[in-house]
Amino acid sequence: MAKEIIDGQTMTRALTRITYEIIERNKGIDDLVLVGIKTRGVFVAHRIESRLKQLENISIPVAELDITPYRDDVAVNEKDAQDYKAEPLDFDISNKHVILTDDVLYTGRTIRAAMDALMSSGRPKKISLAVLVDRGHRELPIRADFVGKNIPTSQKEKIRVFMKEIDGEDKVEIE
Amino acid sequence: MKRYLILEDGTVFPGEGFGSSVITTGQLVISNNRTGIEQSVTDPDAEGQIIAFTIPGVGSSGINRDFYESINYQCKGVVIGSASSESVDGSISFEDWITTLKIPGIKNVDIRALSKYIYEHGEVKASIMDTHDEHAIDQIKALVLPTDLVKQVSTKQSYPNPNIGLKMVIVDLGLKYSILRQLSYRDCNSVIVNYNSTPEEIASLHPEGIIFSNGPGDPKDLPKTIENIKVLQKQFPIMGIGLGSLLVAMANDCQIIKLPNPHHESSLAVKEVASGKIDFVNHNHSYTIDQKSIGSSDFIVTNICVADGSIEGIRHEFLPIISVLFEPEAAPGPTDGYYVFDEFIDLINSTKNQDWSI
Repeated sequence: MAKEIIDGQTMTRALTRITYEIIERNKGIDDLVLVGIKTRGVFVAHRIESRLKQLENISIPVAELDITPYRDDVAVNEKDAQDYKAEPLDFDISNKHVILTDDVLYTGRTIRAAMDALMSSGRPKKISLAVLVDRGHRELPIRADFVGKNIPTSQKEKIRVFMKEIDGEDKVEIE
Repeated sequence: MKRYLILEDGTVFPGEGFGSSVITTGQLVISNNRTGIEQSVTDPDAEGQIIAFTIPGVGSSGINRDFYESINYQCKGVVIGSASSESVDGSISFEDWITTLKIPGIKNVDIRALSKYIYEHGEVKASIMDTHDEHAIDQIKALVLPTDLVKQVSTKQSYPNPNIGLKMVIVDLGLKYSILRQLSYRDCNSVIVNYNSTPEEIASLHPEGIIFSNGPGDPKDLPKTIENIKVLQKQFPIMGIGLGSLLVAMANDCQIIKLPNPHHESSLAVKEVASGKIDFVNHNHSYTIDQKSIGSSDFIVTNICVADGSIEGIRHEFLPIISVLFEPEAAPGPTDGYYVFDEFIDLINSTKNQDWSI
């Protein structure tokens, strides 16, 4: 049975808080770019971007990152079959502070893959990580800088993030 | 008994007296609260105020002792159109209650004309008297309202509100008990101190966060507290509520202005700038932060009032300071603002292991 653990309002608040923390820790938002990991990480990035725009009146660039070719948990032959090439980012991230965004932080493998992809398209000044949910069980030494909500889980459980842009509503479920 | 509400410019509103029969003088404020009348009357913000309730049948929702906001009621008088003789919960009627509290009241006043007058002319001094001759009007004109309202309501001695969570110090500028209720609900281990406590005294309590509470009067009358904030904000996370938020703003070189239409309403819409979310919250303030001065400060505007666009919430760009002019603890009014307390606790936790101090 799926149980709702974060409702729309809490998600809104979490994203707003992440935005405030980004401003506070960077003492402003110069040189900032947001890179969202497909699919829901992109929506997280756009929501943070729109909040920053409302608060600071500055638009910062948002890019989408497709990390499929960099994943190490997808079988090699499968990768070959697709013959995937990562799409280049649509702007230069050299000497920028990149904030990588995703919906759920779990093993850390996605993030490692995302960092590989980023590094191959430039040399950012700094990479930070913002996630909506941190559910624990890391398999790599990776930690989020901005966390919407820490949700301790067992590995058997499933976390599912719903976002308005694609799922019609904002919520997080556990089952 | 015939009594008169006299404004400082000589305008007279006749009515009928109830409650205490003493002659009283204070700042007249218009309140559009529909429920939670007992919260408005017992609110320390009402120190020195005569409150005019605009709703008909005041008190029909009942008077509940659980909702008192202070022990010593400071309200100088109440003005109403009509009171309800019964309440839905069968508790004491409004008139009997005001009589028990020994607060002077006046009823059968043309409350619509009065509130319209105040919205056009701004807040004025007023008096509830038995006569309305020249002499009475001269008296009210000559009267100077006290400026030490906070001194009257702030606790003289520190007292604890023990719990097991975060250590908070609340600087009492006219603290409403509902702020403590909200902190208790979040397990905060609080100590409430006098408004003039020195930064050293406060630091010796090792707080993890400091709250500057709501309160009555003009923030310009509290220069010492402003100086204290300048010192404390370099060491501790700070939250300002109501009067406290104005002091926090002034400590960071923001200008304070009087609102053309003061906010005394239990349900006024406020927009969260970042997300566009609308909250209905309780307001009780006559001042706001000047928009012009915010640009040159290190604050970002987090909340604005939908009705008149005035600033309702600010947040420091790099110090852990949040401030709201409305009353997140509600009491009276809708509870949409409770999240501000969670916000402050999140802020404390997220800055705990970081070196942000300057």
